[in-house]
Amino acid sequence: MEPEKFQEVFKRLEAEIRKVIVGHDDVIRQVLIAFFAGGHVLLEGVPGLGKTLLVKSLSHALGISFKRIQFTPDLMPSDIVGTEVLTETNGRREFQFKQGPIFAHVVLADEINRATPKTQSAVLEAMEEKQVTVFGESHALESPFIVLATQNPIELEGTYPLPEAQLDRFFFKLMVAPPSPAELREILKRTTGAETGDSAKVLPDDGGRLIRQMQQLLRQVLIAPPIEDYVVRIVHATQPHLDNGNSSGSPVKHYLRFGASPRGAQAVILGAKGHALADSRVHVSYEDVSRVVYPALRHRIILNFQAEAENVSTDQILAEVIKQVPRA
Amino acid sequence: MSSRPQNQGSPEQRVGRLVARLRNHALWDSLLIFSPPLLVAICIAAYCHHAGWIAPLTLLLLGPTIVGLGFFAVVARYRTLIPARNFAAHLVDEKTDAKDRFLTLSSIQGSPQPAPLVARLRGEAAALLERIDFRREFPYRIKRSFCWSLSGSLLAAALFYFSMPLAESRLRQALPHENIREVAEKMARQPRLLGLADRLQTLAAKLQQTSVQEPEKRTLIHQALEQIENQQKKEKEKESQDLLGEALSALRGLEEQSGRQQKEPAEDGGGIQSGTADEDAGKGQKNQGSDGAKGERSAERGNDPQKGKTARGDSKEQGKEQSSQAEGEKRSEQPDPNKSDKGPGAEVTGKTRGGREEKPGQEKLGRSRAEEPPRDAPPAERFYKPGEQGKGGVKGAGYVTVQLPEEMAVEAKGEGTIGNPAKETKTYPKVPVSNTPLPAHVPDAPAEKQQLPLEYRGIIR
Repeated sequence: MEPEKFQEVFKRLEAEIRKVIVGHDDVIRQVLIAFFAGGHVLLEGVPGLGKTLLVKSLSHALGISFKRIQFTPDLMPSDIVGTEVLTETNGRREFQFKQGPIFAHVVLADEINRATPKTQSAVLEAMEEKQVTVFGESHALESPFIVLATQNPIELEGTYPLPEAQLDRFFFKLMVAPPSPAELREILKRTTGAETGDSAKVLPDDGGRLIRQMQQLLRQVLIAPPIEDYVVRIVHATQPHLDNGNSSGSPVKHYLRFGASPRGAQAVILGAKGHALADSRVHVSYEDVSRVVYPALRHRIILNFQAEAENVSTDQILAEVIKQVPRA
Repeated sequence: MSSRPQNQGSPEQRVGRLVARLRNHALWDSLLIFSPPLLVAICIAAYCHHAGWIAPLTLLLLGPTIVGLGFFAVVARYRTLIPARNFAAHLVDEKTDAKDRFLTLSSIQGSPQPAPLVARLRGEAAALLERIDFRREFPYRIKRSFCWSLSGSLLAAALFYFSMPLAESRLRQALPHENIREVAEKMARQPRLLGLADRLQTLAAKLQQTSVQEPEKRTLIHQALEQIENQQKKEKEKESQDLLGEALSALRGLEEQSGRQQKEPAEDGGGIQSGTADEDAGKGQKNQGSDGAKGERSAERGNDPQKGKTARGDSKEQGKEQSSQAEGEKRSEQPDPNKSDKGPGAEVTGKTRGGREEKPGQEKLGRSRAEEPPRDAPPAERFYKPGEQGKGGVKGAGYVTVQLPEEMAVEAKGEGTIGNPAKETKTYPKVPVSNTPLPAHVPDAPAEKQQLPLEYRGIIR
């Protein structure tokens, strides 16, 4: 696939989603980057900011199958992955696998933190292995496959925070911020008038093949060894227990319990590649890395009690890390 | 136009050319940093050779050593400044706002990469390179380090230049016979002064000899001075006058130096102030007593009566006496004022000094020797008896300085009072307590109010 084709499709997708979603340009772009990088996204924001609408618009624009799972405390794993049901065909009774809502290209896991850890973990295998196992039998998920989970930072009573292992499986964690006054006016204009906009389908009917080609191209994007080294140094610098040049008084040592995993470094590189392609370039620059460090690492570094007590965010720690790690 | 060939080639080649250019810059930087100190070092070496401070062979060794050190310094500096290829690519990226295109191109060379993407990236980079000219964008600029090096070197050179006359004069002062020899050589060129020149040469040779004693040297210098002064009176030619003046000043300098050298060891011996009433006790006495404080202290502490007696009026014992004074000085560093080694020695030292270098007018000292009390006499016999003529109470002594603790002195004399304690003012006795005649011995005298230190028991009742 030609880079130009990628950029054309990417820009059209962005434009179509923007028809529905007002503002959140960065979120839209990063969701698309994560999608073409083959990752999953965790969207965090208060209710009513358009998280679900964004995911629906994306799936609509992509023209691929979309399923939504509303996570509740009584949701069972089988409600997600599917189960064997007894069926009778021509007088013969047999168990037949009935697919759950996870069998779709785009899966919206709405308010994922409301389900029990047992149910949450049912999504783990699907996200990582792109397959589910029911009664000892594995069922592959169709590619492309992306889980877009949302969670609400408020109303935390009766919720089950995602375990670190599951958080690590999300490629990006995106923060959906409230709209600005101008954006809010535009939202009102679009949603309270007689006509409501909807995104058009961008990809052709065989969109899945095109998406796979685009995913392949993203991985071919050139990256200079010094930039790879920069990413390694950034990820390494988030480790509070290693001798990585962080002084005892540095924010990393002071506020972090655990640093980013190698998956974090992979996410940074792939995200930077996606960012470069989206920016009509076939090579990664330092700037691309800096742009994707936050969404790729913010949920992979674990704050300690001190940080939570002082209301220090992971983004603040990452900003310090980027400041400390030299580029060359 | 000249940049045309430079604009040819792939972006990677052009980055390579930039690396070569930056290497040249690094070489210049290294050379410029070390050139000023090297030049200054060579100049100093040459100056030293010219001044005759270092031998030609030393210069021959020193020159190549300096150059070699400079060479190694330049190489070492150059090696640290050699730019990496990625660094050069990064510089081009910055200049062309290429978003790390050149860095990517120069660093992915040799690794398997998708050819279409590399070709595309190369095309983009080449298009960006059209915008810049390396000569214009990366000219050689003199670094600040060179300015620091230059100013530092110039400062060092200036310091050397201005400190040389001082050092030279010091050197000349340190070798006076050389100075005289130099003048003698100049004088030898004039036939009229040939004899004088020979004498000066001989003098210089003698001054150099360690076997010649200091008084002899001084005598020789005096003689030479007289001869030169006589000759100067006779001379009419200005050149000869100048030469003789030069010789005179050299000799006078030498004489002064000799005088100083003689004084210094004498001053080191310390001194004694107490003792005789005579003020003109002689030159040696002056030397000894130059330090009043020392003298007083030694008088307080010289406690060996035996030594005092033997030393009295005996110049041969002077050495011993001096050593006892030195000992006294050493002891003075100990803070305890009631040490038992104080006492009669003070009296002794006072007398002893009178005994040395006596002059005809020193009657008192002569008398003191004649009136010396018997060695083993009890302390009472050493005082004048009522009706006898004499001052001070002690036979054969002008006065004895004894430092008493203040309160005791006041109590003993009743003359001094300690003032209002609130004001912390003290009144001291006007007359030295030790100079007052001792009261006659009264057997039924009341007991002492306060226990006196042992050493004062025989003197103060």
